[in-house]
Amino acid sequence: MPAPSDRSQVGAPIPRLDAWGKVTGATRFLPDDPRPDAWLGAAVRSPLPHARLVSVAKTAAFPAAAVLLTAPDLPCANLVAMVREDLPLLAADEVRFATQPVALVAAPDRATLKAALAAVTVELEELPAVLDLDAALRGEGPVWGADNVVAEYRIDRGDPDAAFASAATVVEGTYVTGYQEHMYLEPQGVVATPRPDGGVEILGSLQCPYYIHNAMKRALGLDGDRVVVRQSPTGGAFGGKEDYPSILALQAAVLALRCGHPVAMIYERREDVACTTKRHPSRTRYRSAFDAEGRLLAVDVDLVLDAGAFTTLSPVVLSRGVLHVAGPYRIPHARIRGRTVATHTPPNGAFRGFGVPQAAFACERQMDRAARRLGLDPAELRRRNLVRDGDTFVFGQTLRPGMAAADLVLARVLERSGYAQRRREARAFNARGGALRRGVGVTLCLHGGGFTGDGEDRIKGRASVRLDPDGAVTLLVSSVEMGQGAATVLPQIAAEALGVPVARVRFHQPDTSAVPDSGPTVASRTTMVVGRILVDACRQLADKARAFAGDKCADPLAAAAHAGLSATAVYEPDPDIAWDQANHHGDAYQGWSWAAAVAEVEVDVDTMEVRPVKLTHVVEIGRAVNPVLCVGQVEGGTLQGLAWGHLEEMKLKDGRYLNDRMSTYIIPTSLDAPDFDVELAELPSPRGPFGAKGLGELPMNAGAPALAAAIEDALDLEVFEAPVTPEILLRRWREVRR
Amino acid sequence: MKIAMWVNGVHRDLEVPPLKRLLDVLREDLGLIGAKEGCGEGECGACAVILDGRLVNSCLLPAYRAHGRVVRTIEGLGTPEHPDPVQSAFVAEGAVQCGYCIPGLVMASRALLDEEAAPSRPRIREALAGNLCRCTGYERVVRAVERAALSPARACGAEPSPNPAADLEASPGDEVVVHVPGSLRAACEALARGGVTVVGGATDLGVLMHEEIVAPRVVLDLSRVAELHGVRREGGALVIGAATPYADLLRDADVARDLPCLHAAVRSVGAPAIQSLGTLGGNLANGSPGADAVPPLLALGARLRLVSVAGEREVAADAFFTGYRATVRRDDELVAAIVVPLPAAGTRQSFRKAGTRRAQAIAKVNLAACARIEGGVLRGVRLAAGSVGPTVILLRRTMALLEGEPAADLDRLAEAAAAAASAEVAPIDDVRSTATYRRDVTGNLVKRFVASLCEMHTR
Repeated sequence: MPAPSDRSQVGAPIPRLDAWGKVTGATRFLPDDPRPDAWLGAAVRSPLPHARLVSVAKTAAFPAAAVLLTAPDLPCANLVAMVREDLPLLAADEVRFATQPVALVAAPDRATLKAALAAVTVELEELPAVLDLDAALRGEGPVWGADNVVAEYRIDRGDPDAAFASAATVVEGTYVTGYQEHMYLEPQGVVATPRPDGGVEILGSLQCPYYIHNAMKRALGLDGDRVVVRQSPTGGAFGGKEDYPSILALQAAVLALRCGHPVAMIYERREDVACTTKRHPSRTRYRSAFDAEGRLLAVDVDLVLDAGAFTTLSPVVLSRGVLHVAGPYRIPHARIRGRTVATHTPPNGAFRGFGVPQAAFACERQMDRAARRLGLDPAELRRRNLVRDGDTFVFGQTLRPGMAAADLVLARVLERSGYAQRRREARAFNARGGALRRGVGVTLCLHGGGFTGDGEDRIKGRASVRLDPDGAVTLLVSSVEMGQGAATVLPQIAAEALGVPVARVRFHQPDTSAVPDSGPTVASRTTMVVGRILVDACRQLADKARAFAGDKCADPLAAAAHAGLSATAVYEPDPDIAWDQANHHGDAYQGWSWAAAVAEVEVDVDTMEVRPVKLTHVVEIGRAVNPVLCVGQVEGGTLQGLAWGHLEEMKLKDGRYLNDRMSTYIIPTSLDAPDFDVELAELPSPRGPFGAKGLGELPMNAGAPALAAAIEDALDLEVFEAPVTPEILLRRWREVRR
Repeated sequence: MKIAMWVNGVHRDLEVPPLKRLLDVLREDLGLIGAKEGCGEGECGACAVILDGRLVNSCLLPAYRAHGRVVRTIEGLGTPEHPDPVQSAFVAEGAVQCGYCIPGLVMASRALLDEEAAPSRPRIREALAGNLCRCTGYERVVRAVERAALSPARACGAEPSPNPAADLEASPGDEVVVHVPGSLRAACEALARGGVTVVGGATDLGVLMHEEIVAPRVVLDLSRVAELHGVRREGGALVIGAATPYADLLRDADVARDLPCLHAAVRSVGAPAIQSLGTLGGNLANGSPGADAVPPLLALGARLRLVSVAGEREVAADAFFTGYRATVRRDDELVAAIVVPLPAAGTRQSFRKAGTRRAQAIAKVNLAACARIEGGVLRGVRLAAGSVGPTVILLRRTMALLEGEPAADLDRLAEAAAAAASAEVAPIDDVRSTATYRRDVTGNLVKRFVASLCEMHTR
């Protein structure tokens, strides 16, 4: 293979390949293309969280040109296939959450649609709603199944009861986290177009083309060739466009099939916030046993996630949360129980981190609480307990040589941030009194990249490459570009594998009629897992080109350009991986990424406004394929975590989100963001392409616990919740001083 | 309605409904899709464009307001072959991720650099605070602006000049009548005919129309009434034209020097794109208890000049509000000017806003305060609080408690004032905060202000 002929491949901080289209306004997102022939679709929704659906009917004012679909009218199975098939496309006889669709309407234009929506009457008979976690845990309702438990996982290791009995110190705490809205800048949207063969084509802002493809095949009973899903340039997703687009696409598809026109369903902000999924609220009861030296002997954890009214992805979110809730620590004995329970609230779904931010918040808060009890510096307590190569996680995975980097990132972040000195300076500053207090907090997190256990083997992702007549290579994968950089990083990986400059690699816009199923764009798996499959495909293609052009040819790809060559590779499992899904035990993740963050905050004790001033974040992500893009991922993800930790509060009333606008659901502005200082530590992993591991979700885990720790340090009180609002802090400040 | 505007250097004649959003005119009538809709209510800035040199949210601006104006959008800024330095810097620094907010962020950066060649980091953060980005964490964006500041702006040819006097021409099909008078007299006459919706900066109108809460039939727009613009000295007072945009107030040296609490409050209104449009007159007439710029007016003892065809009267700012979104303004009257007496020498002024975040925020509590120490006692104590009741209010009992008290024991006085202030506000729980928080914070801010007077006292 020829030597790399420029520095645009792996490790090069090249500008993202889609940057110019975006900075000049040329990139066309879904709402940017006029579609004069498209009808507009909308859902009629239940205002009540729990009700018997008596009737849905048109009044005389319903425009003749418009179309109404209710559950009995559906031309398909009434289901949206995800982990289970319990979610109906339209409520048939029972409404189980407020905003649940009870009917769909399509009309040729906005005015007619509005008139049609106003001319639909929905008769509901209100039923008692189960809206809080405790009621759900008691089995009230039940909302779902026999006891509301949508999924449960347990981890048992050693003899935790004996360990607690022998402990020098036992620490207990309960930690709660709230909803989080994705607030991608581009709201959800799809356009469904009926095909002459009776099938349907979807164009949309989405993460997982083949999830939609599958949901459409299942519900509509169509074979795969008659369903085509294409991704439009996507203005942010963060998990929010993982599961929900399957719902929206099916809605648009049944309307399109019914009216015979393309149907566009592009949300305005308010409908998007009111109706789409959120991060699962959580409550974690945590007990930890320490020996006299502050070493962890055992943990006893009960993690509960609010699933909302249907399964969606909750069991998978829970599984990942349970596997991360003991954190990056060495713990000989453990009893961990995780449950996700149903309430009459909108289903919660995927959000960057996928259960880990909730778990990390509880774990890291508990470590800080323990440090206080034990009289140890929080960094020192973590240093004493972190996992190293050769250690075994509570779920039975032993870290092989080179896999553990907790000590590395912790040491680096303490040094880089000047942690010890900054804490001393904060103490001195606070001793002066006045309205401002400063605090410094540290946190240590990890994230397992790719699907859990044998998940990647079960989905067997595929990737193809095609040699084009101009000598360039086109990448055919279903991984989407949604801002995270896949359309730059995957070409860099392929260029490295092929030994050509990135300029000779093209990224094909995901389209199920053209690209194979590489799996969904989720779980920090694109670079590590899909990138690896892509490398295999590239090597096959290079071999074919060389076979065609001869060994002496300097540029076999150019020589073979007209040969019509292509190659497809399939995910190959590592034979050494052992995972027992039934018992949730074994090698949970092939690539662990590590993060340590130090947050510095300033708190105004008059108003309890918290200002994150500086955030130092050291992440170990294997080889950084594009360092600039990596740093951008870290900064953006960390700010989402920080904001979830103190600004982003979503309140519910009668099962509906109160903060359903950008002016009431508060995401950070440039003035709310700290200065970031990010270091990429790189321990190349044997599993990923050229040593790369997963990154996208990792930074989301550290923000909230680091912030909470810094607030505690500033105010000398304890923080148990995310978000910890000024209202909570002021109340606790008063209590502490009373 | 027929409107004419310069867009990216090209003269455009258009016939559009007068209240159609500029955003939709750009996207639908002109095919300029760079400006995006992210929220429809002036929160996110994805729709930001530059209008006559200032950043505005095109989702809030009715089409008629662009008549005679010069509009720059992302499409007019540069191309990959001939980019603006801001665009090059965004690419080079990795400031772009999903890209949806980027046209607005780039325009906000350009507007800043056009005004200030080498802004500091805090200034950059402030200038971009109305452009929400969910991907980047802003660090790369701030660095990109720092980098762009090192390059001279690309010469973009002769910029056309706006023609603010251009007359609007209605079209037969218009469902809305728009008056944009050039004189106060004409404005009052239009108002006297009744049934009109008065528009100052249009920032509230845009939100209310988006929410379908209002659908005006006749609009009286004050943005071109010459007498309602500018700040001038009149005897011992500054007289502020009610339709002066906040952006102008913010750049007024007299306001910055003599009325620092008003300056601080104006600076806390929304973010730059809102400040480009919003006006004090609109903030007052709207009657919102959360209006950021209003507490300073009460604290400074301002008087409001109300004008109608029948004549003129002055009302004390603290007597203007009668209830939630209700004022003493008669339907035929306009808030024409705000007369702010120059504070006595030695007066300490303070404005504090506890908002939902550090910019683009609605106040949970805000407090404007003025006082001085004269002959060892507190004088001229005036405290005004917002978002703690149905209207912005003067904290009269607290003021009375403090007025004339010896400044010797400020800490004790501050405690008493805090308790009094907490007791005399009547806040509520709502989506943004709680009554308890608002009550406590009002007390804390009063206490902090009173205690801070001792710095002066000992000086």
